[in-house]
Amino acid sequence: MASPVAAVDPQSTLPMIDTLRSCAIDVFDTMVGTALGESTPLAGDALRPQSNVVAQIGFGGSRSGLVVFYATFDGAAHITRALLCMEPTDVPSPPEIADAVGEITNMVAGSFRTRMANEGDAWAISIPTVTMGSDFYMTPLSDGSRTMLPFRMGDHEIFVELVVTSKARRA
Amino acid sequence: MRFLVVDDSSTMRRIIINTLNKLGYQDVIEASNGREGMERLTDGSVDLIITDWNMPEMNGIDFIRSVRAMDGKQHLPVLMVTTNAAKDDIVEALRAGVNNYVVKPFTPDTIKEKIDAVLAR
Repeated sequence: MASPVAAVDPQSTLPMIDTLRSCAIDVFDTMVGTALGESTPLAGDALRPQSNVVAQIGFGGSRSGLVVFYATFDGAAHITRALLCMEPTDVPSPPEIADAVGEITNMVAGSFRTRMANEGDAWAISIPTVTMGSDFYMTPLSDGSRTMLPFRMGDHEIFVELVVTSKARRA
Repeated sequence: MRFLVVDDSSTMRRIIINTLNKLGYQDVIEASNGREGMERLTDGSVDLIITDWNMPEMNGIDFIRSVRAMDGKQHLPVLMVTTNAAKDDIVEALRAGVNNYVVKPFTPDTIKEKIDAVLAR
C-alpha cells in the first residue's frame, strides 16, 4: 500500500543541478564544438521556453525524474549540422533533427547518470522521446522539483531542464 | 578491414562512420539494434564490431552475448560506445565479452586509440 507522496526538497537537488549543467557543457564542447554560455538557473514552473524541438529522457532508481532538452528549429538544425559534419548551408531533414536532438539529450542524460552513479546514486534511464512542432504544450508535473538551465549556443538559446519527481513509498 | 557499427541512433552511426572514414577505414556496415547486428554477422565477414548499449529489440549486452555464443566469434574484437560508464556498467560489459569501452561524449582520437588497442590484442 502506498503512503502519501513526499515533497521533493529543492536543496537536495542542487548537486544534481550542478552535475547536469557540467554534463551539458562537456557534451556540447566535445560533440558540437560549441562552448555554451551559462545563465542563472530558473526554478519552478514560471518559465516555459518557446521551443519547437523537445527531447525527454526519464530516469528512475534512488531518485526519479526527467531530463528535458529544449531548442528552436534553428538551434536544433545547428546541432544536427555539427554532429553530422554537414555544411553550414545544408538543411537537415526533420527525422535527422529529431534523431540528432535525441542523441545529444541521450549523451547529456547518460553522462549525468554515470556521474551520479559514481556518487552513489544508481539509476536506469529510458531511451529519448522527441517532440517536434509549433503547437504543443508540455504539461508540468505537479509534485516535482523543476529547474531550468538556460544556455547560449552562439546565436541560439537552448534549455536543459531537470525534473525530480516525488515517489510514493511502499508500506 | 570491415567494421560493423550497431546503434539505434542514425546520428551516432553517422558520427562513428565519419570518424572511421577519416581514420582510413572505408568498409563499414551498420545495424540499428542487436537483432539486425546478428543478421549482418551471418550475411558476411566482420573484423571489428562497434556497438551501443541501450537499444530497442536487442540491447548491446545481449547482442555481444549472442555474438560470443556463435561459432568462430569468441575472439572477434568488440568495442562498446555508450554513456553507461559507471563501474558496475563496465564490469557487466566486460563480462558479456566486450574488449574495450568508449564513453560518450568522445573525440575521434579516443576512437582511434581504442580501436588500436583492441586490434593489438
